[in-house]
Amino acid sequence: MKILYSWLREFIDTRLSPSQLQEALTMAGIEVSACRFLGDGLDLVVVAKILEKKQHPNADKLSLCRVTDGEREYGIVCGAKNMSEGDHVALSKIGAKLPNGLEIKKAKIRGEASEGMLCSETELRLAEESAGIMILPPDSIPGTPLAVALGLSDHLLEIEITPNRGDCLSVLGVAREVAAITGEKVVLPGTDFPESGEPIGSFASVTVSDADHCPRYSARVVSDLLIAPSPAWMQRRLSLCGIRPINNVVDITNYLLLEVGQPMHAFDLDRLTASGIDVRRSGIEREFITLDGIRRKVLPEMLLIWNGDRPVAVAGVMGGENTEVLPSTSRVLFESAHFAPSAVRFAARRLGISSESSYRFERGVDPAGTVYALQRAISLLSRHTPLVAAPGTIDLGGDRTFGRSVSFRPSQADRIIGRAYGEDGCRAIFDRMAFPIAISGPGAWQVRVAPHRFDIEREIDLVEEVARLTGYDSIPTTYPESAAPEFSADDRLTATVERASEYLRTQGFSQVLNYSFVSEKELTRHANLLGYDPSDAMRLANPLSDDMTVMRPDLLMGLLRNVSSNVRRFVDEVRLFENGKAFGKSLANSLFEEQRLAFALYGHRLPGAWSGAHEWVDFFDVKGITETVLNVLGAGAVHFVPTRSRSFFVEGQAAEIIMAGETVGWMGVINHELLSAFDIERPVCYAELRIPIALSNVERPAIHREIPKFPPVFRDYACIVPSVAAVGDILAMVRELTPEIASAAVFDVFTGEKIGEGKKSIAFRIKLQPSDRTLTESEVNSIHTKVLNLLDNRFGGKIRTS
Amino acid sequence: MRSLSDAKSESDLNSVKGIFFGKKGTLSEIMKGLSGLPIEERKQVGAAANAARQTLEAAFDARLAEFRERERKTRDAAGLIDVTLPGRLPAAGHRHPISRTMADIVSIFNRLGFSTRLGPEIEKDYYNFEALNFPADHPAREMQDTFFMDGPSSDLLLRTHTSPIQIRTMESSRPPVRVVAPGAVYRCDSDITHSPMFHQVEGFAVDQNVTFSDVKGLLTEFCSMMFGERKPLRFRPSFFPFTEPSAEVDIECVICGGKGCRVCKGSGWLEILGCGMIDPAVFGFVDYDPDLYTGFAFGMGVERIAMLRHGIGDIRLFFENDLRFLSRF
Repeated sequence: MKILYSWLREFIDTRLSPSQLQEALTMAGIEVSACRFLGDGLDLVVVAKILEKKQHPNADKLSLCRVTDGEREYGIVCGAKNMSEGDHVALSKIGAKLPNGLEIKKAKIRGEASEGMLCSETELRLAEESAGIMILPPDSIPGTPLAVALGLSDHLLEIEITPNRGDCLSVLGVAREVAAITGEKVVLPGTDFPESGEPIGSFASVTVSDADHCPRYSARVVSDLLIAPSPAWMQRRLSLCGIRPINNVVDITNYLLLEVGQPMHAFDLDRLTASGIDVRRSGIEREFITLDGIRRKVLPEMLLIWNGDRPVAVAGVMGGENTEVLPSTSRVLFESAHFAPSAVRFAARRLGISSESSYRFERGVDPAGTVYALQRAISLLSRHTPLVAAPGTIDLGGDRTFGRSVSFRPSQADRIIGRAYGEDGCRAIFDRMAFPIAISGPGAWQVRVAPHRFDIEREIDLVEEVARLTGYDSIPTTYPESAAPEFSADDRLTATVERASEYLRTQGFSQVLNYSFVSEKELTRHANLLGYDPSDAMRLANPLSDDMTVMRPDLLMGLLRNVSSNVRRFVDEVRLFENGKAFGKSLANSLFEEQRLAFALYGHRLPGAWSGAHEWVDFFDVKGITETVLNVLGAGAVHFVPTRSRSFFVEGQAAEIIMAGETVGWMGVINHELLSAFDIERPVCYAELRIPIALSNVERPAIHREIPKFPPVFRDYACIVPSVAAVGDILAMVRELTPEIASAAVFDVFTGEKIGEGKKSIAFRIKLQPSDRTLTESEVNSIHTKVLNLLDNRFGGKIRTS
Repeated sequence: MRSLSDAKSESDLNSVKGIFFGKKGTLSEIMKGLSGLPIEERKQVGAAANAARQTLEAAFDARLAEFRERERKTRDAAGLIDVTLPGRLPAAGHRHPISRTMADIVSIFNRLGFSTRLGPEIEKDYYNFEALNFPADHPAREMQDTFFMDGPSSDLLLRTHTSPIQIRTMESSRPPVRVVAPGAVYRCDSDITHSPMFHQVEGFAVDQNVTFSDVKGLLTEFCSMMFGERKPLRFRPSFFPFTEPSAEVDIECVICGGKGCRVCKGSGWLEILGCGMIDPAVFGFVDYDPDLYTGFAFGMGVERIAMLRHGIGDIRLFFENDLRFLSRF
C-alpha cells in the first residue's frame, strides 16, 4: 500500500521525517519497503505551453510541437495525441533523468530535431497508468519547475502490510500506528457540512436481515449534485496511490477508502426503487452483473445488498451495474457498512474478485468508523461539488458496542519475552495505543482494545504489542538452557544418507536436485518403457504448468533427462546421483512417499583415464558401486536376483536387489529404446535404492573372532558349466559345503569357441582355514572331492583339463 | 688395483676378482705355496696374504656397491613418471549447493543441541495449516500459494513449509523438545527468486522458561557460525500465524556491507530468517499447557542462503542440474 507523507500529516503532526518514519514503522513491524521523494528526477522538468502543433512531415503517428517555457522556444517531436495548442504540459529538457530512469537527449526523430520531451504521468511516476501526455491546469505558469507547480515536495511510502494488520490499510491506520510508536496524538480532520431539505428518511430506508454478517450499516443521501471530475489535487493523490480517478462521486469513495480504510459504495438513488435497501444472503444461485459489466454466478450463501427483490451489490465486494453512478446521476446514496470478513472473503474468493474493498473487509474494517467516513466524504465532496445533503444518517447497528476487553497479566510479558517490562512498561504501551486499563485483581488487568484492532483477542496479542512497541532491540540475547536432545531415527537417516552421498561424490558422482513433480504427458508417452502405472499416480490438482502435473513415481526420468541434457552440453563423462522422494498411492503407510537414493553412470568405466580402461560403463560397474553404497547405508546381506519386471532395463542386464525378503532397490543397464527416447547414444547404468528398506536392517556390532594362527590352504578350480548357471549361486553353495571353506571367490569367467556353445568357463579359488589346526592332506583331499561332486552333480560342471 | 678401477661393470669386476681369488688366482697360489715355506716365513707371508686379501675384498665390495647404485639410478631414470598426469581413480564429483548448504545449517543446529526430524512432503491440511493456527479461509493462507493433491479428498497438499514437523513432533513427544527440521517445500510460484519447489530448515524448542531472548541469542550464534564474522543482525516485528510475537531477522548485507546495493535493494539489510514464540493456539492442538511451557520456532529458506553465499542471482539454476554449474561447488 502507498501512503503520502503529506496526507499522513493531516492526521498526525509527527516530528519524524519521512526516512525516520520509514525506519520507525519498519522496526515496529509495518515494513516500509520504499520511501521516494516525488520531486526526484524532476530537476529539468518545467511547465511549458504549446504554441503550435502540427503533423510530423515524415511520420503519421508523430506531431511536431513548438512550446515555450517563457524564456525560449523548443521544437519537440511527440507521439501523443491528447494535447492541443494552448495546453500547458510538462516539458523535460535535454539532460533530464526522469524518475522512470529515462534520460532525455537531443535527438533527431524521422529527420526532425527534438529538444526535449513532453511527459506522461507514468513517465514522471505520478500515476501507474496514463492515457497520453500530462495536461496541466490552464492557470499554470510556463517555466515553473513541475515539482513546484504540482506541489511535489512530498514523499511516497510503500508499505507492506502483514495479513493480521488490516487496520493499517489506510492513512488513518498508519497514523494510529505512528501514534503508538511515538506517543504523538492522532487528530481527526473536521467533517462540517450544511444539511438541508427533506430528511434522509423520505429518500431511503434500510433494513438488515442478516445482522450476523452485517453488524453495522450506515448511509447518507445527497442530491442536486453534478457529476464532474475531482479537483486536481485529489486526482493526483488517488493516482499516486494507484487508483484511477473517475468522477467526483466515485473518487470520494475511493479517497475515503485510502484515507480511513472504510470501503464505501455510491448508489444512484434514482435507480433504486422506493422499496428500500436490505442486506441478506442470495438464497439461490443467480446471475448478477457487477459494475465492471461482467455477468457473475452468485451462490446461495453470498451476502448481497438488495433493493426490494433485486440485488444491487455483492456486499463488500462490488456494486451492480443496475444502480451504478452514471454521468447523469444527481442523487446518491452512500453506503458505509461493516461486513463480516468471512462473508466478504467467501464471495470474493468464489467470484474471483479481489477489489480494494474486499481486500480490506477480509482483513477487518473498523466497525466504529462507518459514520465518520460518511461525514468526512460528504464534507470533502461538498467543498468542490455543489450538493444538498439530506439531514440525518441511517445507522443500523450503530448503538452496538464494538471492541473488546482482553485479560492481561503484565508478568506474562516478562516470562515470554525474557525482558523486564514490569507493570509500568506495559502501561506505557497501552497508553500510547489509547487502550484503557482496568485492574481486575493482583497482577491481572482487563485491557480495553480499540475496535479497529481485529488482531488483538488474547493475552499473547497484548504481549506482542508490548514487545513490538517497546522495540525488539531492547530484548537481551540469552542462550536457551535445555537437556540434551534425543537422538532420533531421522538423525540416523540423515547422517547415513550423507555418508552414502559423500561416498558417491568421491566416486565421481555429482548430486542433482530435480523437481518432485514431472510431466504426466512425458511419463505416459513412455509409459511401457518407464513402467509407469497411472493408477498409482499422485497428481496435483492445481499444477503450475503442463511440465509439472504428477508427483514422480521414481527418480529415473529426472536422472535420464539430466544425463541427456549434460551430454548435449558436451559433457562426456556423466555420473549423477540424487537423494529425493518418490511418490505413489501404494507407498509407505498412506504417506504416499519414500526416500530414495538413485544414481546413473554414463561414459567410461574410468572417467578421464589415459592408461587403458577405455570401455563404456556396464552392469558390473553399477553393481560394484551399488554394493558399496548399500554397505555404507548399513544394509544387511543382499541378493541380486535377475528381473524382467523392470521394463526400463535391458533384458538380462537387470537385477532386483533383495534384502531379508524385501526389494531394497533395482539396478541394471538402461533399455536402448528408452535411451533413444532421451537422445542418449551410449550406455547408461542405473540403480535406485529404497532408503527406508536399506535402513530397516538393524546393524549389530561386529563380534571379534580369533585371528587364525595356522596358514590357510588354497585350491583353484577351472570348470566348464552351462552358461545359465549363476556364478553367485555356485560360489554360495561351495561356501556352504563345509565350515573349513573360509571363502570362495571367482577370478575369471569367459566363453568362446574352445569352451563350446551354451557353456562358459569359470575359475575360482577357495581358501581352507579352520581356526584350530592345520588341515591334513587327506582332509584337504576330501573337501576337494566334495567340491568336484557339487560342481558335477548340481551344475553339470566339468573340470577343465587343458 | 689398476685393473680394479678399470673395471666398467659388475662382470668386469668379477673377472678381475678371478685374477686374485679364483682357483688359479694369485692369492690362492700364494696360499697353496705357504705349506712349502719354513715356519717363520710361513707366518709372515700368511699374515701378509691375509691382510692383502682383506684389503682387496673391501675394495671389491666398495666397487660392487658403486656399480649396483649406478645401475639402480639408471633403472629409476628409465621409469621416471609424469606426476602431472591425472590419477587413476575418477575425479571426485560435486555435492549440490542446496544439499550442502542445508547440511551445513542442520549440522550447526545439531551442534547447538537440536535433533533432526523429517516429515512427509505430501501433507495433510491439518498439519500444514490448521494445527499451525491458519484458520480455514484466513488471509494468512494466501501468503503461501498451495499445491493441492488431486483426489476425492482435498485434504492432501504439498507442504508449503517444514513447520508441520513441529506439530508431528509435539504430538509424539513431551517437552523438552529441541528439533531442527530440514526438507523440500512447495508453493505455486515461479520466477528468478521463486521456485515451485525449494528447501527450508525449521527449528523449534519447547521447555519451561524458554523466552524470546533465547531465540534471539540462538540465532545470533547461528548467524555468526554460518556467515563467519559477527555480522550485525536486526530483529524486526512480523507476522506468522503459528508464532507470536514474531520477527523477521535481517543480516547486514553480505554484498555491500550495509552501504546499500542492488541485492539488498538499498536497505543495507538482507532478510534471512523468520522466528517467534510458538503461539499458545498451536500448543492447544498438541495438548501442551501454555502456562507451563513456552517455545520458540524459526525457519529459513535454504535457496536464499545458498544464493547469498555463492553469489547466485537466479534460483532456477539450482534445478537445471547443469554439470557446468554443479562443478563449481
